[in-house]
Amino acid sequence: MGILEINQLHKRFGQHEVLKGLEMDVPEHSIFGLVGQNGAGKTTTMKIILGLLKPDSGSVTVCGEKVAYGETKTNRHIGFLPDVPEFYGYMTAREYLKLCGEITGLSQTKTKVRSEELLELVGLKNEKKRIGSFSRGMKQRLGIAQALLNEPKLLICDEPTSSLDPIGRKEILDILLAAKGKTTVLFSTHILSDVERICDRIAVLHGGKLALYGTLAEVKQRHRYNGFVLEFENVETAAIFAKSKELQHPSISTTRSGNTVTVLLTGCDLDGHFFLDVLAQKRIVPLKFVALEPTLESLFLEVVQ
Amino acid sequence: MTGYLAFLKKEIFEYAKTYKLLILLVVFAVFGITNPLVAKLLPEILGSLVADGITITMPKATAYDAWTQFFKNATQMGLILTVILFSGVLSSELSKGTLVILLTKGLSRTAVILAKYTCMALLWTASIALCFGLTYVYTHYLFPADKVSNLPFSVFCLWLFGMFLLAVLLLSAVLTKSSYGCLLLTGAAVVACLLVNIIPAAHRYNPISLVTDKMGLIKNTIAVSSLFGAVFIAFLLALLFVSLAVLIFRKKQL
Repeated sequence: MGILEINQLHKRFGQHEVLKGLEMDVPEHSIFGLVGQNGAGKTTTMKIILGLLKPDSGSVTVCGEKVAYGETKTNRHIGFLPDVPEFYGYMTAREYLKLCGEITGLSQTKTKVRSEELLELVGLKNEKKRIGSFSRGMKQRLGIAQALLNEPKLLICDEPTSSLDPIGRKEILDILLAAKGKTTVLFSTHILSDVERICDRIAVLHGGKLALYGTLAEVKQRHRYNGFVLEFENVETAAIFAKSKELQHPSISTTRSGNTVTVLLTGCDLDGHFFLDVLAQKRIVPLKFVALEPTLESLFLEVVQ
Repeated sequence: MTGYLAFLKKEIFEYAKTYKLLILLVVFAVFGITNPLVAKLLPEILGSLVADGITITMPKATAYDAWTQFFKNATQMGLILTVILFSGVLSSELSKGTLVILLTKGLSRTAVILAKYTCMALLWTASIALCFGLTYVYTHYLFPADKVSNLPFSVFCLWLFGMFLLAVLLLSAVLTKSSYGCLLLTGAAVVACLLVNIIPAAHRYNPISLVTDKMGLIKNTIAVSSLFGAVFIAFLLALLFVSLAVLIFRKKQL
């Protein structure tokens, strides 16, 4: 059983139907990347999980407990980092974490110990300034610290890396990766390289439903193109190969640019051996013979179109 | 309960750190000191302004004048300042998103509303107590012989009206998104109370009578018992508004 299960979730804002029967299952101890365009419903989904928005229909369970809209007990399992976290500017980071500890009902000593650990983790240990003077990146890091304070089973981050500079982004991703052993992470983003760096599972939200779902390897496997890229020593050899009789087949499409030839196979049982045979017949040794790998970006574009 | 106490502590800390507490206390303290002073000095000031040859007979200032000043300042400037200071009680937290993080940490929404009302009530009580205390001591010093009647009860009426107004404010804050909307609704509620007073029969039960009738109280031209209805209704409405604020906020989409 997953730590978070979403069943047939529907949500509409006026005329605009954002979620149309969303189904999702987040297994424990995974880093789950929720990808989608702006306005795809990522934040809406998260707010429903947190009981901040009321779904029109459908249900969400966190750790086997059903989420109730409004006052929900399930939030005690969850740590949440909003897209632009805002804190009380007149407090210091330590004072803020103390408040969070009091609210979640942690003991004073426990709060103190956890605060120090987390401030160390997020690199704010020596920060004595008030939060009001913090930079965006520092607020984001404090946001992670407060989200992890009560050792939640599920950490939800809403676009934690957007609007950060590359160094800030790397730091946040490293912190999330470090949290993986202790908690399950669900984070939304539209930066695909972030997903590839730390996620083990991915879901693409499009048109109010999951358009793509699974582990990163699975998804890539499922959407593998049946095609190859061949690079030759020179343009002439490439042309000879590209124009060879054997490749004039309705299910093979060949494109050549310079000394590189891309061959795509559609709807036939030919495979790499076929091209190797052709190469052997022509006595050509390619410099490179690579199976086409789908990139996350190409997958995303394919799904979203 | 732990959430309520923690959040109440945060609220008080917030008013202290953002100087709102200081502003409130200083203004009410200034009122407290100036009330008897103005009453004492006003006839003399006016007297000195008058040109030669004209004589104006001014009645001698009494403790009654000092308390007139007190009730005028506390109900007008005092309440207006209080309402303006508290108008962002919820909207600032909601628009900035500071509250969402705490709510997702398991802080109950009921605790938020109750803590906010408690904090406003504490601050209002402290301010009015300070103002009253200063006026009382100073009036006693300036006009030692004078006595006014029903003073504790009329201050209680003023205090209760403040509590009623804060409940209206809280409900308005829950209903509207901006602090301006909150101010507007609160103002509308006061206007509505004033309009209701047009009906003579309603006067006895109208919460606003608590602040419009108190001059009569200290002059002893109005019987204390005539305000019991208004006290009861104000208390009941305050309770109702706070409960409604809790219920609505619990189901509000954030």
